[in-house]
Amino acid sequence: MTALVRYRLTTLLLSQRYLAPLLLFAALVTVLTSNDTGPLTAAHAASGLAMLLAATWLTMALAGLDDPPHRAVLTAATGGHRRLTTGTVLAALAACLPLAALGLLLPLLVGDHSPTAADLLLGVEVQLTCACTGAAVGLLTARPVVRRQGHGLLLALALLLVLTLGKGLPPVNLMLTRLSGHHRSADLVGSTALLLALAAVLLGTAAVVGHAVAVRRD
Amino acid sequence: MLLHCEAVGKRYGRGRWILRDVDLDLAPGDVLAVVGANGSGKSTLLRILAGLTRPTAGRRTGTATAQGASVGYVPDRFTAHERLTAMAYLTHLGRIRGLPTATARDRAGRLLDRLALAGGPDAPLRTLSKGNAQKVALAQALLVPPDLLVLDEPWSGLDASAHTALAGILAETAAAGGAVVFTDHREALARTHATAVHTVADGRVTRRADPGPGAPVVVVLTRRGGPDLPGVLDLPGFLDLPGVLAVERHGAELHLRVDRSRTDAVLLAALRDDWSVQAVTRPAPEPAPAAAEPAPAPTPRTTAR
Repeated sequence: MTALVRYRLTTLLLSQRYLAPLLLFAALVTVLTSNDTGPLTAAHAASGLAMLLAATWLTMALAGLDDPPHRAVLTAATGGHRRLTTGTVLAALAACLPLAALGLLLPLLVGDHSPTAADLLLGVEVQLTCACTGAAVGLLTARPVVRRQGHGLLLALALLLVLTLGKGLPPVNLMLTRLSGHHRSADLVGSTALLLALAAVLLGTAAVVGHAVAVRRD
Repeated sequence: MLLHCEAVGKRYGRGRWILRDVDLDLAPGDVLAVVGANGSGKSTLLRILAGLTRPTAGRRTGTATAQGASVGYVPDRFTAHERLTAMAYLTHLGRIRGLPTATARDRAGRLLDRLALAGGPDAPLRTLSKGNAQKVALAQALLVPPDLLVLDEPWSGLDASAHTALAGILAETAAAGGAVVFTDHREALARTHATAVHTVADGRVTRRADPGPGAPVVVVLTRRGGPDLPGVLDLPGFLDLPGVLAVERHGAELHLRVDRSRTDAVLLAALRDDWSVQAVTRPAPEPAPAAAEPAPAPTPRTTAR
C-alpha cells in the first residue's frame, strides 16, 4: 500500500496538478487571516474552508490522473479494485497533510496571536475534518464515479455549497458556525473531535460507494 | 484448475449482453488465443478473466482468483502521459507488486533490455512511440512471474525483434506453470502461438479445433560436450514437459515427438538446458516412423541448422 501511495503522490507531483489547489489554499488562508488579531477560532474557520476546497480539488486531481486503461493495469498490479481505492484515499489524505500544517502555521505568521495548546489541537481537528470531507467529495465527483470532468466539477461545487451553506449541517457548516460563535478553543475541542469522526465516516462511505460504482461500471 | 469460468455473462446496465454463457477453463501451461472481430467482446472477456471486470452472471473461480495470485494485464492501448521514465515507472509498479526496490529495478532493467526499448530505460514515458509504450506495458506485467498473463492485442505495434521476444515470453510463462490468454484479430498468428483458440462472436465464445495439423513434430537434439554429460533434462526429464509425446535415444541424439502446439516451449526448455537443436521436422501425416530415422526424413518441410 505504501508503494501505491508513493506512486500516486509521485505522479501527482510530476503532473503539477497539485499547484493550483495549493496556491488557492495558500492565498485564501493568507488573505482571510492576515493582520488578524482576533480569536484564533475565526482563523481556524477560514483555513478550514480553504482546506475543504483544496482537499476536494486535490482528490479529484489524484483520482483523475490515470485513464481507464492504465487504471486497469494498476488494478491488476495492486490486486483488486478495493486496494486501489484505498490507495487513492490514503494518497489524498497524505497530500492534504502538508496543507494542514500550512493552514495551522500561516495564520500565526501573518496574524498576531498567542496560541495555546488547545488552540493548536482544535486547529488540527478542524483541518483534518475539512480534509476528510473534501476528500469524500472529491472521490464522489471524479473518475471512475463521474467520468466527465465538467459534470464532476459541477457536482463537486453543488456538494460543497450544500456542505458549507446548509444551516446546521454536520460536519462542515456546524463546525464553522460553532467556530465563529465561540472564542475559547478549549470549549470546542471535544465537539469538533466528534465532527472529525463523522467526517472520517463520510470519507469511508464515499470510498465504499466509489468502489461499488467502479466495480459495477468496469 | 488455474481459472474456471462457468456460465459467465456480461452486460452494462440494461444494455445488450456483450457475453453470454461463457464456459472456459485454464490450466497451468495453457496458452489461449481469443480471436474475433473488433467490438465482439474480446476485451471484455479478457478483463473478466483478469478479474478487472465483474461478470453480471456466472462465476469465476480457481487459484488465479485467490488473494495474492499474480495476474499480469497488458491493455491494448497503453497511454503513459506521465513524466516518469520507463525505469522509474517499472520500479514503482514492481514495488506496488511487493518487490523490494533493488529487485524491481533489476527485473525492469533486464526486461527492457530483452525487449530492446528504444531510447533506453531512462526515456520518459510520454516520449515513447506506440510500439515502445507497448513494450513497457508488457514489461510491467512480467515484473513478478505471472500465474495468469492476460494480453489485449499484444502483437500490434511491436517490431520484428520484439515479436520474437514476446513469443519467447509467452512460451516461458506457460513453461513455468502460468497460463496465458491473448487476443488478436489475425487467426494465423493466434494459431502459431497458442495451445487453443477460442472465437468470440455474437456474445458467444466457442472453442476451435486444436490448432496445427495435429501431427506431432520431431525434434532432434544433441548435447554440447557429449551425450553422457548429466543435464537437468534427460530422457525422463523431457517426458515430463507438457507436449512431449515420446523420447528416443539414437546414439548421441535425442529424438522427441512433440505436440505441434507445444514445440516452442519444448525447444526453449531444451535450449536453456544446453541442448542444441539439430533438426525440427514435420513427418508425413500417415504413418509416423520419422522418429526412428535421423536426418534425411521424407518430409515436405525440413529445417536444419
